[in-house]
Amino acid sequence: MPTLIKYEKSGIPSVFIIFPDQQECWKEAAKLNGLPTVRYVTESRTIPGHIDVERVIPELMDALTRPLTPEEQKRSVIQPTDTERILFEGTLEDAQEFYEQTDIIPTLQNAPFARYTDGLPVRVPTLERVKEMLKGTSHKPDEMVVFHEDHDVGDRSVQMGNSGKKGDPITFLPMKRTATVEQIATIAVMAGCRPEMFPIVLAIAESGGGCGDGRGGGGYCVSGPIGRQIGMNYDVNLLGPGNPANKSLGRAGELMWRNLGGEIPSVNNCGVFGTGLTNVFPENSEALPPGWEGLNEECGFKKSESVLVRIGMGMSGMESASWMPGQYREFQKSGHSGIARRLGVKGKPGPHNFLDFIRGFWVDGEGGFTFLMLPELANHLYQYGFKTKDAVYEYIYKRSFIPLKEYRLHSIPDVWTNAWKGIEPTSGKHWLELPEDYMVPACPDPWANMIIVMGAGEEQLHWMRGSMRDAYSIDDWK
Amino acid sequence: MADKTYKCLNPVGIQQPVELFPLAPRLDKNKLAGKTIYISVGAGGEQGLMIPLPKRLKELYPDINWKLTHAAPHRTIAGSIALSEDEMKDADALIRGVVW
Repeated sequence: MPTLIKYEKSGIPSVFIIFPDQQECWKEAAKLNGLPTVRYVTESRTIPGHIDVERVIPELMDALTRPLTPEEQKRSVIQPTDTERILFEGTLEDAQEFYEQTDIIPTLQNAPFARYTDGLPVRVPTLERVKEMLKGTSHKPDEMVVFHEDHDVGDRSVQMGNSGKKGDPITFLPMKRTATVEQIATIAVMAGCRPEMFPIVLAIAESGGGCGDGRGGGGYCVSGPIGRQIGMNYDVNLLGPGNPANKSLGRAGELMWRNLGGEIPSVNNCGVFGTGLTNVFPENSEALPPGWEGLNEECGFKKSESVLVRIGMGMSGMESASWMPGQYREFQKSGHSGIARRLGVKGKPGPHNFLDFIRGFWVDGEGGFTFLMLPELANHLYQYGFKTKDAVYEYIYKRSFIPLKEYRLHSIPDVWTNAWKGIEPTSGKHWLELPEDYMVPACPDPWANMIIVMGAGEEQLHWMRGSMRDAYSIDDWK
Repeated sequence: MADKTYKCLNPVGIQQPVELFPLAPRLDKNKLAGKTIYISVGAGGEQGLMIPLPKRLKELYPDINWKLTHAAPHRTIAGSIALSEDEMKDADALIRGVVW
C-alpha cells in the first residue's frame, strides 16, 4: 500500500482493483497511509475474468475521470485516540470488566471482538503489578522498544514500515504503532507472565510482537539457558497447556498483536482462518547430538547466550510423519515395519535415515522446513552419519531437486517467478528456455531449513514450511 | 468500607498522527486521446482478468496510449511497485490490478 499511494501523492490519478470482501481492509490501509478516499474497483472472485472485464472497465474509467468530490480534495490530520497512560481507575472487579469489553464488528458477521485481550480474561495491569514486572529488566519504563541489532525483517515488513535497523523503533503491524518498555510490561502482566520472564517478552516485542506482517500468528523458540531458569517445560506436551512460562509467553505475543499491532481481522487486515495461541517453547540444547549446534550458535550467538527465534506463520499448518511410534522404533531397532520395507532395509538394524521415508515434502509445495525434532530422532540422524546440522540441511536441499516439468505443475512458483518471466537461479537462464527435464531445487538453499531439537516422548516428527533463522537477543533485555 | 481503587495502565501502542492528502486531479473524460495510462499487473496472479483487461481497453479506447507493466515477484518490495521512476514521468494515470 505505501508504494501504491505514492502515485496519487505525486499527481498520477490511480485506480486499484481489489476484491469485494476486502473493501473495509482497503479503506483502513488507505487511511493509515494518508489517502482514505483512494479509488478502487472490485473484481469478482467467481465470475470468469473475460466476462467480468465488461463490468469492470466502465468502473475503472469512471474512477479515473469522475471529478473529485470535496471530501477527496481535503487535507487534514487524524489524531490518535486511546493515548492515556492510565487507561482505567477503579476497583479490580470493575477493571476486570473494563479490560474484557468487546466491540461488535459488522464485517465479522456482527461477532464481538475483544478490545484489549485475546478474548480470555486477563490479569488486570495495575500500576503496582506493572512496576513489579519492570523489575525483570534494567531498561527504563519510558524507553522505546527498538532493534538492538540489525535484522533482516523481510521485504514485506520493510515496505510496511519496519526497517530492521539497529536503533530504529519496532513498528507493530498492521497499525504501525510503536511501544515503550512500560507498555510491554503492561501486556506481560495481562498475559500472566512473571518478572523473570520479562526479558523474553521484550525480545518477543523486538521481533515484532506476534504481529508478523499484520496477520499475526507464528511461534517462538527460546534457545539458551534462560529457559531452564524460568521453569519452561522441556518435555512432553511443551506445546500444550499447563506450563505457566510456555503458555503465558505465547499469550504475551498475542496480546501484543491485539494492542500494539491493533489488528481487527476483516477490518484492518485480510486473513483467512487466523492462527491460534501458540506456546513459546524451548530448544533442548543439552540433548543435541555431539557437534550439532543450537539455534543460538546457528544464528551467530554463543552457546551461553539466550536468544529468541521466530518460527514464522507455519505453526498453524504443522505436518507430522505418517508413522506409528512403535513402527518407527522397530524400523530403527531391528529393521521391521513398512518403513524398513520401503527403504529396503528389512531385517537390518539401524541407524537408518528416516527422512528418506517421507515422500511428501515437495509433492505440492516448495521451500525449506522447520523441523520440531525429538532428541532421539536427532541422534538417529547423527548415528546414521549426519555429524552436523548443516549436513542434514545439505541432504534436504539435494533431495529437493525435481524436474522442471514437475515444478511447473506446482502453484506458488507461478507467483514467485512472476509467471515464469524471471531467471532460474541455478542455471542463470530464463525459466522458459530450460528443458523440461532440467532439475530445479524445490528447496531454495540448504539454510532454508532449520532443525529444533526439542521435546520428549513417543517417536514423532513435526515440520512446517519455511524457516526464519533470525534470532533476537534475550540477554540484551535483561 | 469502599473497595480499594487501582490505577490500571494502557496496553495500546503509540499511534502517530496521520496526515491525509487529497487525491490527484482526474483526467478529463473528453480529452483522453493521447493520454498514457499504465496497466500494472500485480505479480503473478489473476491472469483471468488481467489478460483480457488490456486487450479490451485497447479495443474500447484506441486513442489512449495503453502501456502494460508487470511487477516483480510477490513478497518483495519490487513486487509492490506498480511504476518505475521513469514510468512515473510519462504516466497520466494508472490502473493497478490486482493489488494483493
